Amino acid sequence: MEAVFTKELKPFLDAVAERMELYVPKKAGDYYVFKRYEPSDEVAAEFNNIRACTPVKEFLFPLCELAAVFPKTVEPEDVKPFAIFGLKDCDLRSIEILDKVFAEEEFKDPFYLKRRENMFVISSDCSEPGESCFCTVLDGRPYADSGFDLNVSQVRDGFVIEVGSEKGKGLIEEHSQLFSEVPEVLLSERDEDRSETQKQLEQKNAELRFDTPIKEIVENSQESEVFDVEAKNCVECQACTRICPTCHCFYLYDTKQKDYFAKMKMWDSCMRQAYAEVAGGANPHKVLGDRIKHRLMHKFVYFLDRYGIEMCVGCGRCVDADVGGMDLREVLKKLSEELKDKGKKKAKATK
Amino acid sequence: MNQNPYQPIAGEVTDIIDESATIKTFVVVPEEEFKFETGQFVELTLPGEGEAPFTPSSSPAETKKMEITIMKAGRVTGLLHQCKKGQKVGIRGPYGNGYPIDDFAGKEVYIVGGGVGLAPIRSLFLTLVDRIKDFKSVVCRFGARTPDDLIYKKTLFGAWQKIAGVEMKLTVDEADGDWKGNVGVVTTICDKKDVDIKNAVAVVCGPPIMMRFATMKLLEFGFGPKDIYLSMEKNMSCGIGKCGHCMLGKYYVCKDGPVFTYEQVKDYRDIWA
Repeated sequence: MEAVFTKELKPFLDAVAERMELYVPKKAGDYYVFKRYEPSDEVAAEFNNIRACTPVKEFLFPLCELAAVFPKTVEPEDVKPFAIFGLKDCDLRSIEILDKVFAEEEFKDPFYLKRRENMFVISSDCSEPGESCFCTVLDGRPYADSGFDLNVSQVRDGFVIEVGSEKGKGLIEEHSQLFSEVPEVLLSERDEDRSETQKQLEQKNAELRFDTPIKEIVENSQESEVFDVEAKNCVECQACTRICPTCHCFYLYDTKQKDYFAKMKMWDSCMRQAYAEVAGGANPHKVLGDRIKHRLMHKFVYFLDRYGIEMCVGCGRCVDADVGGMDLREVLKKLSEELKDKGKKKAKATK
Repeated sequence: MNQNPYQPIAGEVTDIIDESATIKTFVVVPEEEFKFETGQFVELTLPGEGEAPFTPSSSPAETKKMEITIMKAGRVTGLLHQCKKGQKVGIRGPYGNGYPIDDFAGKEVYIVGGGVGLAPIRSLFLTLVDRIKDFKSVVCRFGARTPDDLIYKKTLFGAWQKIAGVEMKLTVDEADGDWKGNVGVVTTICDKKDVDIKNAVAVVCGPPIMMRFATMKLLEFGFGPKDIYLSMEKNMSCGIGKCGHCMLGKYYVCKDGPVFTYEQVKDYRDIWA
């Protein structure tokens, strides 16, 4: 794939911002969040070594939006082209998952599609993954090799920018004066950095490298008590589902406006007690432990059955956000242990 | 065609029929042509108030209007019950799969229904009756809590009983003075000998508890899990397999259902809740 070199990030981002709305990672406390790029800011942009703490879904599937107007009809609002700098491989994989739901099925979501078509993705390599990052367990990597328009890797003296699409290529060509050829040595340096980070991640998550596929571990946990035990720590804040880049449950509700009625679409959470309740009062997930179980089943079993990929990218955001102290990695470990014990007992019984 | 799946088409309530103390049938005339297959459901919007899923109770052959039988059970249905003729409504759909009636051809169709579950069954019944010669017989076992709770009384006790090829028994859980029929839950009027099970399919629709016991009974009779069709009630909201509320295991009830064979869902623990 084509790549170019630039010493500085700012002229490149200025060039992007000239063409479209640009969002860049900005530090907010210990974390990065995406903010509109302001070329005149003292620190206009920095290279985020780790994913932002907010999920990319916010750009494609906003917290709340107008879905229909009645009795008139509503067209998706005119979305201007926009770019996001600093998305990581886990973010790109979460877009792939959301695409399956909103862009590829028989019923497409016109609002999602509109934003997706106008989104320009500038991803970047992770050089300092966080404590909660476990992407490698779910076949992810600390760098992207597809799904972007441009990808930025930080190297000695500057940045390598890789082209991932025609749109990306067009932008680089239009501003060719900003870039130079990449010295071969920098490319190999980048590749070394990448494998070094990947190795670190794999070592850190060695305990999560299960002998049994995660799908099988979760699928076999129907009768497990682990979920009820975990429920004791859960305070039902729903942060895990809000911050998850792949959770996409939503709620439709109707409102009265001055001269029309509107149907709104808003994020919902399967951790909410009344989430699955019907008008008659029946509720298949009345018990919190059952809701936690359903969430894991959806992520690691049902979604995989339906779309061929897991609905988790191992970004660890839910781990960081959890107020009560539930850690998805620990839950998976417990379920894996439980399955092993079950296997041992079975083996004993058949002897 | 409308490209926005969240956009309802406009309709008007042209008549309201009281079926019981808590159940009314709304005759809805959509402004645009609206076709559905029996067993599919629609999302009915009370503009500005909310939306809820219902399976029409009329025959799909009737394309100018649609009847929707609604029990007062929650906020939206409560508000719908306060509506008068002329009320503007929104309709989205139809959604889901409906009953595979072509697969029923040549067989005995054993229908077990209870309470407001007779609504989808009425649509199915009318569809079957339209081509009654295609089926060996249509055998109905319907129940309600009290005689007053039995809906579609006029036809249940009249025209439907007289259709050649149809056999029908009714029951109530608690009788009042005038009731001369069977007293007991719907399974008390079901008998192994009602149909030739080897050449029959069963359809069950009603409150969760009734569906559970009826299904168990049918299995006991010897019906195969693949031959028992259940119309599942879950919290369908978007109708298009995205919002997640109606998930039943890997299925979206709104898209993969609402009609499932017992075989498809039997391994999930939460089917009757």
